[in-house]
Amino acid sequence: MRCSLQAVALWGKKAPLHSITAIMITDDQQTIVTGSQEGQLCLWNLSPELKISAKELLFGHSASVTCLAKARDFSKQPYVVSAAENGEMCVWNVTNGQRVEKAMLPYRHTAICYYHCSFRMTGEGWLLCCGEYQDVLIIDAKSLAVIHTFISSQSPDWINCLCIVHSMRIQEDSLLVVSVAGELKVWDLSSSINSIQEKQDVYEKESKFLDSLNCRAIRFCTYTERLLLVVFSKCWKVYDYCDFSLLRTEVSRSGQFFAGGEVLAAHRIIIWTEDGHSFIYQLLNSGLSKSIYPADGRVLKETIYPHLLCSTSVQENKGLSFVMGYMNERKEPFYKILFSGEVSGRITLWHIPDVPVSKFDGSPREIPITDTWTLQDNFDKHHTMSIIDHVPGAGTVVVTSSEYVSSLDKLICGCEDGTILITQALNAAKAGLLEGGSLLKDSLPHKVLKGHHQSVTSLLYPHGLSSKLDQSWLLSGDQDSRVILWNIFTEEVLHKFFLEAGPVTSLLMSPENFRLRSDQVICCVCSDHSVALLHLEGKRCLLHARKHLFPVRMIKWHPVENFLIVGCADDSAYIWEIETGTLERHETGERARIILNCCDDSQPLKPEFALPVTSETHKHKSVEQRPSSSCQFGPIPCPGLQVESSWKVADVKPFSGPFNVLPVKTRWSDIGFHILLFDLENLVELLLPTPVCDVDPSNSFYGSEILRRAKSTVEKKTLTLKRNKTASGSLSAEAQAKPVSENPAQGENTAKSLGDNEGIKRQKKIKNSKKMHPKPSRKVDANVTIDTAKLFLSCFLPWGVDKEFDNLCIKHLDILKLQGSVSLGLASNEDHFSLMLPGWDLCNAEMKKDYSKVNLFSKKVLDLSNKYTSTLPNQVGMPRGLENNCDSSQESNTLNTIVYLLNRLFAVNKLVNTPLELACGIDRSFKMESVHNKARIPGNEISNISSFYGYLRNGKSESHIPEADISLLKLISCWRDQSVQVTEAIQAVLLAEVQQHMKTLSKRVGNSQPVSMTEDVHCEMRQILQETEWTREEVELHCTTDTLPLQTPVSPVKHDSDSNSAKFQDTEDMPDRCVLEESESPGKPRHHSWIAKVCSCKLC
Amino acid sequence: MATAMAATAAERAVLEEEFRWLLHDEVHAVLRQLQDILKEASLRFTLPCSGTGTEGPAKQENFILGSCSTDQVKGVLTLQGDALSQADVNLKIPRNNQLLHFAFREDKQWKLQQIQDARNHVSQAIYLLANRDESYQFRTGAEVLKLMDAVMLQLTRARNRLTTPATLTLPEIAASGLTRMFAPALPSDLLVNVYINLNKLCLTVYQLHALQPNSTKNFRPAGGAVLHSPGAMFEWGSQRLEVSHVHKVECVIPWLNDALVFFTVSLQLCQQLKDKISVFSSYWSYRPF
Repeated sequence: MRCSLQAVALWGKKAPLHSITAIMITDDQQTIVTGSQEGQLCLWNLSPELKISAKELLFGHSASVTCLAKARDFSKQPYVVSAAENGEMCVWNVTNGQRVEKAMLPYRHTAICYYHCSFRMTGEGWLLCCGEYQDVLIIDAKSLAVIHTFISSQSPDWINCLCIVHSMRIQEDSLLVVSVAGELKVWDLSSSINSIQEKQDVYEKESKFLDSLNCRAIRFCTYTERLLLVVFSKCWKVYDYCDFSLLRTEVSRSGQFFAGGEVLAAHRIIIWTEDGHSFIYQLLNSGLSKSIYPADGRVLKETIYPHLLCSTSVQENKGLSFVMGYMNERKEPFYKILFSGEVSGRITLWHIPDVPVSKFDGSPREIPITDTWTLQDNFDKHHTMSIIDHVPGAGTVVVTSSEYVSSLDKLICGCEDGTILITQALNAAKAGLLEGGSLLKDSLPHKVLKGHHQSVTSLLYPHGLSSKLDQSWLLSGDQDSRVILWNIFTEEVLHKFFLEAGPVTSLLMSPENFRLRSDQVICCVCSDHSVALLHLEGKRCLLHARKHLFPVRMIKWHPVENFLIVGCADDSAYIWEIETGTLERHETGERARIILNCCDDSQPLKPEFALPVTSETHKHKSVEQRPSSSCQFGPIPCPGLQVESSWKVADVKPFSGPFNVLPVKTRWSDIGFHILLFDLENLVELLLPTPVCDVDPSNSFYGSEILRRAKSTVEKKTLTLKRNKTASGSLSAEAQAKPVSENPAQGENTAKSLGDNEGIKRQKKIKNSKKMHPKPSRKVDANVTIDTAKLFLSCFLPWGVDKEFDNLCIKHLDILKLQGSVSLGLASNEDHFSLMLPGWDLCNAEMKKDYSKVNLFSKKVLDLSNKYTSTLPNQVGMPRGLENNCDSSQESNTLNTIVYLLNRLFAVNKLVNTPLELACGIDRSFKMESVHNKARIPGNEISNISSFYGYLRNGKSESHIPEADISLLKLISCWRDQSVQVTEAIQAVLLAEVQQHMKTLSKRVGNSQPVSMTEDVHCEMRQILQETEWTREEVELHCTTDTLPLQTPVSPVKHDSDSNSAKFQDTEDMPDRCVLEESESPGKPRHHSWIAKVCSCKLC
Repeated sequence: MATAMAATAAERAVLEEEFRWLLHDEVHAVLRQLQDILKEASLRFTLPCSGTGTEGPAKQENFILGSCSTDQVKGVLTLQGDALSQADVNLKIPRNNQLLHFAFREDKQWKLQQIQDARNHVSQAIYLLANRDESYQFRTGAEVLKLMDAVMLQLTRARNRLTTPATLTLPEIAASGLTRMFAPALPSDLLVNVYINLNKLCLTVYQLHALQPNSTKNFRPAGGAVLHSPGAMFEWGSQRLEVSHVHKVECVIPWLNDALVFFTVSLQLCQQLKDKISVFSSYWSYRPF
């Protein structure tokens, strides 16, 4: 079961670092895909006018991306494969940014070529891979499993580059490769498919020594089927494919390194260099060879010479390395594009004319740049905000470290100027994102801690890691190796430690089982590779271990013998005796590895200041060694992989609440952006302490209805009242009132007093109908939960579809409108994560003209939403939220609606993510389904799905499920099969439900007739049913009129629009099913394992 | 340490000057030194031919493998670059005082992948450094750090290829091409594995005996290991086998020792250069580009 967390990214002013290491353009010329040193993939939208705009960032690799290639016939499935430095491979769907498949192999690929031979091959085709291993691997494009290898009989070696030759003339596909030693090898491809499938050894057909090193590219001229272009770093050569005779060698100028090349047309080639230049040559046959036969009787020796036609260059060559590519589109719009990606993250495009010609005087012509773009351009063009933008006085500061304390909903940000800001995360996010949020700006409670003189590089909130520690303590370390212990409530400095060891790169705490005289110890890693242990209670430094030559990668604790084990980047281990402060042992190599692997409570870290070694690397260390244990290539050396990524997600708390803020480190010294994470499941659970499924079905409908209603009213009351209480108290007041202000007793008191003011009648009723049983103490403050839910709705509702409707939402749901589109994201628990970039919503060509709509995820949403509305059962009962609205205040009514909506969304989220076999049950009767569920999945799941049913059933007197509900379920499961994204589905359902709700509501406001609660429920129900039936019709009418004009502006030419894609997805139904099935791991859902991917600590 | 905030304009100017010197002069000095060391290391791998000719087959070196504890197994292996061109293995079986002798087939060579990989990694590191010769001007510290990271990555991998031999399962050893290399074919109750561990060339010979199908012994296949111990069991074909004796002999390859030292020294040089650059990052936050 996949479970996903909804996310909203609050990008700062600066774009995250994206050092491009691989680049490709998809076959439809609509998307550019780049892979970065940081491990992320970026999808860029390429408009038909060749304008670039960044769209989405995909997190899935934990190491530098080495190569990209298409992974399917692109017209059928828009899949791209990426490989990383640490052996990870991922297949992505680049139209929706979802990861389709993932594998971890003990091989590092440097080039991948997709090969599919439809009439001889079953399956999805092969990925032919080469890299830092011998010969060529054949990997199944679908499962990413190694099928076989092409073996060399002569001098096997690493392969530098490969290409597939489709020769029409000889009706045979061949694989051409060049090894690092400069040996050209040829394998038959199409005729050896059978032998490969039968796992027979396939040896090369031919091999030839090319006498040059560092081959960068090999290309076959498909136009003449004769010439072979081989680009080496210091020269390029042209061979005759028939006999591999050398026709031409062209040596580079000094200081110039060739990086690749391509054949443009017959006798026309393009060569590019590492520093971003390219040259287009016409290859001319030398007249000599044609006319004169060699006198000595040898065979005709033909030569060719190149004539430079055109060249391209980048504006400002900073000597950075470039990755370039060329693509020749044979379909509309026939663009020939040369593209390059820089280490700095810039993409440049050149439109190569169909017939490049030199100037009249014969000198080469310079082809101008067509477009160039960086992530930062997106950030500059579209307004972006960071989470602390609206904290007074924090306008311009750069945040260098941050930490979110979920138990207090506090975001602690360490700044470049040495101050530490503490603010309430939810309010800060609201102030920044929502339209009316500016009201909050002035009153946004915040605190400033001043004590550091230099930028704050690391923060630690010990109570978050161990509840035994004082809740008021906060530790911060700065660039000047000063560590300060604060009391965050009184804002006092409790102690300052001076370490004199360079910037403090990270602060860690010893695990629960390690105690020094009953106290836990703080461990500071400094950038001079030293490690200091601090004892907070005693306010002293216990040990300062300074002997490490390489950056510290791992800290381990040996509880029994009181040892501190430090693992360094060079794979050595240092064992320190904590009591005496002496170096016990220093080990390297195999022994060090054994020592570091022995205890499992390691705390990997990212201590290096300049390039924080990500925890990801460490995570992978353990992962990596497992598969390699049975492989011939031995364990892949992971240490020293620090190039891999400089993204660092600061330590994440155990993810408990429905809302979390995840600081993500992008640049070397500052926190780049924050991600707001919403856990729908948790949110629903918190808002709904008594799930419907708990109601005993044997009870009479009447009884259970009363019970439920009473419970929910009590619940509601306390929620609302508590909100009043805390909202009035500022942060500092709350602090003085004692940190543990969220105790039930206090809340109860306030609730009572405030409640009296609000409505005595209601209070009485509650007392009468139900007891004032002490409300269950909950972990998360109730007002936070409500606010979270509202923020969630604000962020996910597509605004601007209808103005009136927007106003209704603001009024009745008590939520605020968005200022602009937010960057939505999705975190799946299969450790992959995608985030939209600022300006993503303008990427879709058809949405460009329509600025009124804000935050609409895709055009498809409207379409889906309409489908959903039309499937809504006609006789649907009033949702719970509406039932109560006659007799209760608007506030609780709103709350009910929110709960109802969230519940729906959660169910949709679950359904879209449900494995297929489970969903099949939906086609059968409900009874079958529930049995099915019980058999397959543990508790949680059942309650989810049955609660979905519960809600559908809710308010109906019949106990069986009407056909319409089944059809609704069918629709949603159908979306899953059509690979509708979760976000799309959520938006669509939200839109449809809210629309419907609002329609009903506005109706009701007109002829509202208060029905007292004591009235017979059956009577009420009947009335409501009548009403809804009536409104339903109206709604449907309204909706159709509403949406018609929206669909008209869709240009019929764009083949990516809804209708078309829907059709295509239908045809692709079967493959998708299989993919789904395979990617599901049976059994317990692994929660949030993607966090583990971006975060080091064992905690999460 | 003086804080950057308090640093006067003069101090800043001095620091900036120092940083410029580091980028323009010191970095290149270190890079040259690194290149020299790595070239020296790569020379060890390529083993220039015995003669004076530039091209030709690599020099052959003979290594006599033995162990101080037993003399049951003796091996003479001939290394030619990264390949074993000849091997003679003598195995004395004390039980029946039988002396077994095996040798490579004349036409075959066995590539030592560990050496080949290490050599390739080193040449990649050299290639990275060669791209940044004296004429190249570094503009930011980040650029240097990135280069150093890339070089260190290659060097660490090179070193790790030598220090961590592959952990193989017994069926993998049995299936490896090495067993098919010998002229009188290896008897079915013998397995041979050759690998590099640090600076040593190691040869392991496993003597096997078949487990009776009705044996009361609990059959549990052994996992992957560099060196399996007696008692390890595995299934090969339809047979269940158990390792009865393990013989390991080894011999130091002097040039591998040199290469490892070179790797360690150059890794330290790289790290020191990174540290030098990082020091300046404390004074002003430099943009990476």
